[in-house]
Amino acid sequence: MTHLELENLIGEYVEGQLPAVRRAELETHLAGCADCQFMADDVRRAFELCHAAEPLEPPPWLVPKILRATLGERVPSLRQRLADWFRPVLQPRVAYGIAMAVFSLSMIMNVAGINLRQVRRGDLNPATWVGQANRNGHLLLGRVEKYCYDLKVVYEFQSRLQRLRAQPTETPRPVAPAGGSTYGAPADEGLLASAGNLNAPVLAGLYAQAAGWKRSARSTNP
Amino acid sequence: MEQEAQLVVRCLGGEESAWEELLQAHARKIYNLCYRFTGRASEAEDLTQEVFIKVFQMLTTYDAVQGAFSTWLNRVARNHLVDHYRRTHKDRLTSSLEEQTGGLEDKPSADEHPIARLESQERHEVLQSALNRLSPDMREAVVLRDFQDLDYDEIAEVLGVPEGTVKSRINRGRLELARVIKRMEGVKGGTGPGL
Repeated sequence: MTHLELENLIGEYVEGQLPAVRRAELETHLAGCADCQFMADDVRRAFELCHAAEPLEPPPWLVPKILRATLGERVPSLRQRLADWFRPVLQPRVAYGIAMAVFSLSMIMNVAGINLRQVRRGDLNPATWVGQANRNGHLLLGRVEKYCYDLKVVYEFQSRLQRLRAQPTETPRPVAPAGGSTYGAPADEGLLASAGNLNAPVLAGLYAQAAGWKRSARSTNP
Repeated sequence: MEQEAQLVVRCLGGEESAWEELLQAHARKIYNLCYRFTGRASEAEDLTQEVFIKVFQMLTTYDAVQGAFSTWLNRVARNHLVDHYRRTHKDRLTSSLEEQTGGLEDKPSADEHPIARLESQERHEVLQSALNRLSPDMREAVVLRDFQDLDYDEIAEVLGVPEGTVKSRINRGRLELARVIKRMEGVKGGTGPGL
């Protein structure tokens, strides 16, 4: 293969479209000709550069501009007008802001105890909101308190107090130091005193429940 | 192909949405063709618009039996570009290289590193400048083949020349492009874009 023949085929060669026989001839020539090898490298680089180039994006106004030039000004349909109106609202930032505002408002309304299905004129008064919020706050506090009393550890603690109260106080007690200090007195003394404030029927119920736990514990751990 | 022919029929029937669909489908390719041919973004925009106005007016002359709509569209675009080249040839000779490559509008990607973006921009400039230095015959053949990915027979149909001529033009175009790029890299003192 001559230099000129190679030059005429180099484009197809770099593209990989040359028949096998011609390709073998060309490669044989390239192996023995440094100039042609350089040329082939340059063409390959140019070819790769062309194919690596990313397609360009036309400006966004081009298609609407051509549409106007070909079809003329069009009256937008109701759907398009609505879409145009909502487009800024549907931007991620704005949508997120709206969602957060709705969430905050629903939280406030929930705390204020306003039922959207049955809104009355009085519900619109801020004084009502404050009153409702106050009431709901107290209800919440009550629930928390009840939850704490319902805990097993509290039951056990109270049942122990009850048991201590029920036991006869036969053991001699150390005399309390002067000044009314309880230092040196049994640890449950103060607790027993405070247990006296508890509602008797409630304590009786708690005691019965604690006794049941105790029995079940004995049966499982002989 | 049949789908596009149907779109053309709907378009000829006065359905505006069909024309919009055709436009959306081909605007990008025609814009790229115009840009690669002229090397100027503003000129490419104007030319793309002119091409589509021409297509809109000539749509009745399209015959689906003769070939694909995209081939016909490319032919219309190519003829318009050649006419435009002839009209503006004198102006082009006096224009500077900077002006030709000044309108590069590659969108910078938010993820792209600034250095990588700069290198990409430089590669783009070198390539477009080299393309601009090719003769129109070679440039259009190379652009249609290497940028628009058309087959040899499609290019032959678009250019209205035999396939052998197309191959020859593409080959000579690539050789010339390689020489110009090498020369430009040499002028830049070996700081050309790495491939």
